Amino acid sequence: MAVSDNRVTFWFGCNMLRHAEMIRLSIMLLERTGYDVSAAGGPAYCCGTSHDHQPHGASNMAGRTVSRFNEAATKDGRGTVVTWCPSCHMHMSDIMAPGNRVAFDISHISELLVASIDRLAPLLTVPVPRRVLLHRHLGFSTHVPINDRVTGVLSRIPGLELIEGPAHPGHMCSGLATVPGALKAVISETWSAAITNRADTVCTIFHPCHREIAALDGRDNIRVRNWVQLVAEAMGIEASDAYVGWRNGGAPDIAAIERAEPARYQALIEPELRKEPPLSAASAGPIMG
Amino acid sequence: MTRLPAARAETTEAFLMQSGPELAALCTECGACFNACPMVDYVDLRGADPKIVTSGLRRLASGEAAPEETVAWVGACTKSGQCVDACPQKAVGLDAMLLVRIAKQRAMNETRQLPATQDPSYFPRIKTFARLQLSDEELEKWL
Repeated sequence: MAVSDNRVTFWFGCNMLRHAEMIRLSIMLLERTGYDVSAAGGPAYCCGTSHDHQPHGASNMAGRTVSRFNEAATKDGRGTVVTWCPSCHMHMSDIMAPGNRVAFDISHISELLVASIDRLAPLLTVPVPRRVLLHRHLGFSTHVPINDRVTGVLSRIPGLELIEGPAHPGHMCSGLATVPGALKAVISETWSAAITNRADTVCTIFHPCHREIAALDGRDNIRVRNWVQLVAEAMGIEASDAYVGWRNGGAPDIAAIERAEPARYQALIEPELRKEPPLSAASAGPIMG
Repeated sequence: MTRLPAARAETTEAFLMQSGPELAALCTECGACFNACPMVDYVDLRGADPKIVTSGLRRLASGEAAPEETVAWVGACTKSGQCVDACPQKAVGLDAMLLVRIAKQRAMNETRQLPATQDPSYFPRIKTFARLQLSDEELEKWL
């Protein structure tokens, strides 16, 4: 099948599976801006970046994923892989492609939406009266000017006031967790900037940042939202967030836990949902002096 | 849209093996990457000698043991990317962030100067989150 410009594979990565609503919203945004989307992710489409300590296994994972995308390009005409995760995007560009023959190009979802802004902007009709601080990182701009791209989309939302937060080290919060003190310092800086700037919403760009900041939702009258949720709100679409609810005392319904197997839920999920927030109440206040 | 580079090796493992020494050969040990790195402050290395650290970076990327300052620095890499533009050898093809990344891998897998972090519950946790939220159709289509 010939490759078509509007037929894409949306590669949402592994850890986005914590945030199913964001996957669905991303697909919907791409579809409403004219793309025919096939989604793929999870362990079967692992890029291998989380297995740097197992180079042979990581190499096999990368090869398998590339070959699946090659097949989508050659048999299904999907010559563009649309990324969400910056780790996946950088790994594909820097390591997977130089080590495998690829039959596709990649584009980050923010790039595609900005490129399609003439189709997206008319759909943003519902005012979103929020004063939003964007949680930003320095990294990934080597590959995609992500902060500018997300700002470019959010700035088209009627009623939304956007404040650019401090640009933090790393490409997303998950990497900082391995460096003692770094994650807490970064989240504290973002939260303090939100308070100082009288923001009512902290907007995350990537899922690991959302995961880390989720437990602060509602503190200091500040909500935590992801950028695709804000775009959906502007389209009049309900953008619920189960993970934020679970992280703040809620729990999945019994049927969902049964489906996931209760023993697995208790061993693998509950410890994450019940862990201490990244900031104590006292440390979340504005930095003085 | 990013047009991906042509393959230079048969596998990513082979690519990384050949790239480490290639990138290291382009490095002049000037220390600009280290000076530009925002993580240096988080691991208390600002007083370290950038030339010694980057000399170790070259060695590590080629599979040789490096000084502890180098190991601590590459171990703290969070892909901020500030090293890429700071590197005066960028114009001749030195991707400083990739060099650091390869050095970090080698510190884990070859010189054993960094612990190999492994979370055996990584994929099982993700799959359980998926089962909590995805429909049968989504599980079938997406995973």
